[in-house]
Amino acid sequence: MTLSLFVSLFVDGLSMGMIYALLGMGLILLVRAVGILNFAQGDLLMIGAYICGCLFLDLKLPLWIMFPIAIVWFALIGIIFMFTVYWPLRKASYSQATIIATMGASIVLQEAVKLIWGSSPRAMPAIVQNANGSPKILNVGQVTLPIQYLIILGVGMVIIYLVLKLFEKLYVGKLMQAACQDAYAANLLGIPSILTICATYAIVMIVCGTCGYLVAPQFMIRSTLGTLQLRAFAGVVIGGFGSITGAVIGCLIVGVVESFSTLFLSGYKDVTVFLLLIIFLVLKPTGLFKGKIGDKA
Amino acid sequence: MAEKKLELKNKRFTGPFTLIISVVVFYLVVKIMCRSLYSQMVVNMALVFCLVAYSVSVMLGMCGELSFAGVAFMGIGAFTIANLTTGRFGFKISPLGAFLVVIPVATFIAFIIGLILLRLKGTFFSFSTIALVQVAYTFFNNYRPLFGGVDGISGIPSVRILGKQLTNHYLWFPYLLVFVVFVGLVVEHIRNTQLGRSMASCRDNETAARVLGVNVYMTKVIAFTISGVLSAMGGALYSMLIRYASADMFTYDTSAKYLIMAMFGGVQSTIGAFIGALIVQILPQVLKVFQRYFQLIWGVSIILLMVFMPEGLTGIFRMALKRRKSRKKGRISVIQEKGEE
Repeated sequence: MTLSLFVSLFVDGLSMGMIYALLGMGLILLVRAVGILNFAQGDLLMIGAYICGCLFLDLKLPLWIMFPIAIVWFALIGIIFMFTVYWPLRKASYSQATIIATMGASIVLQEAVKLIWGSSPRAMPAIVQNANGSPKILNVGQVTLPIQYLIILGVGMVIIYLVLKLFEKLYVGKLMQAACQDAYAANLLGIPSILTICATYAIVMIVCGTCGYLVAPQFMIRSTLGTLQLRAFAGVVIGGFGSITGAVIGCLIVGVVESFSTLFLSGYKDVTVFLLLIIFLVLKPTGLFKGKIGDKA
Repeated sequence: MAEKKLELKNKRFTGPFTLIISVVVFYLVVKIMCRSLYSQMVVNMALVFCLVAYSVSVMLGMCGELSFAGVAFMGIGAFTIANLTTGRFGFKISPLGAFLVVIPVATFIAFIIGLILLRLKGTFFSFSTIALVQVAYTFFNNYRPLFGGVDGISGIPSVRILGKQLTNHYLWFPYLLVFVVFVGLVVEHIRNTQLGRSMASCRDNETAARVLGVNVYMTKVIAFTISGVLSAMGGALYSMLIRYASADMFTYDTSAKYLIMAMFGGVQSTIGAFIGALIVQILPQVLKVFQRYFQLIWGVSIILLMVFMPEGLTGIFRMALKRRKSRKKGRISVIQEKGEE
């Protein structure tokens, strides 16, 4: 393997890993806030891609107008999602009910998208392009790096930094964390847990939707984008339960491994990720990093 | 006291009796209703999927762990049948013989996978089973020597039972019905054994179960194995019925269907799985007009089911029964109080 191939595969893997990491971070945020795993995480990403596609391709808005509108939409959808799939079920008689409801939501989102926009995938132009509309590629020596990947890496790092800062430094973040750790006590202290949960869902949807916009040029806007969540799940398990840093690192590992495995076993891409997962389950079932609130999951 | 004894005796007497009656009634109803081969096929499919719904009921209803692995084990069962009966290994076994091979194969594989995956708990276990389904699908779709790749394996010979060749769905139906009811009885029996009770204790309160000396991990592994074998039997029968096995019969998307079957009827009861499988399989045929929206309706109905009746149809039935009983009891106690006055 030449160095240039190695570098381009590595960057490719890292950028995909960053997408998984953003999804995985959203998963962890939800697990911490409401104690459930969201099986519609990938479909939230898909919805994000479709909304951006609608704003960008159908309404032809420029990027700087499109993005604020998209974010408002994402926040709204996140809150609607919370009030339909989580809120009526928070006192369900068994805990699997909420998870199964998110699965139902995943089917609903996929089908709704198919009914509204048709089942054929739509092409999305890359953010930075050449004059002829093809995605721009950066050449460093012999290494070719698509600029889209670098943008994904940059945006991903900014988002992760912002979310970590929100939870560790800001007062609002501390309120949210308190409500996560003990909703009852937080309610007694006057923290409205419904608002913090709403905020968490909105943030998660914004993160997922942005991911959708970022991956759309590569995978096209299609209803099967939701399958990306499987790798994010694997990354979260590898990284450890309940810790954001762990999930991010686990997901990056998954992305890189997946990217290198395409070189050797193109048909069995999923298998390598899963084998990695099994190795981790056997050797280190608690994951790489131990979470703050491990028991909730 | 005497009344209670009488009731028990009655139950022992009426239990098998009502079962046989209801099976016969079901048989006759299907015989009368199913005028075409197609409708008979739909009912047969429902019976086969019922086995998979049982497996969900064992894992989720008894043990409290949500597993999607059923589809992967269905695939294992179906491809075992396909390989053994079409002579791809250089020898041929009759389909029934191959069916007997499926059971130990599935037991072994499910046990090993259960040992690995059940190191995870709760939702993390659930999505590791999704990963399993995805990997199994990748293998089914790509590995030609065992699974036939994209084309699948066709040409599974028709089954011969008691010297009779089961060439169409009418002939299949009675055997399938008897088998499914039999497996249902076995599952119902498991519920009332020590194993079933330890599974229930793992579901309700793991810590308490551990304190009482239940090996939670092993109990869950055994439950996973049982549910794997049930699914594998379902998959094997599926491939024997349509005489073909291919990867796209066993995708992750189809696993949602089996889950709904079990949830709809009531995940805590065996009869619920049976009823749910029938309804979920037959309803789309009745409401063919809405075919375009069917997936959407499924999704919405899952959410509504979870919100309004998480215990399913049998749960509602049970609740109504309980309410009636308590009302009756209330009346009796009122009468007794009056008598005491």
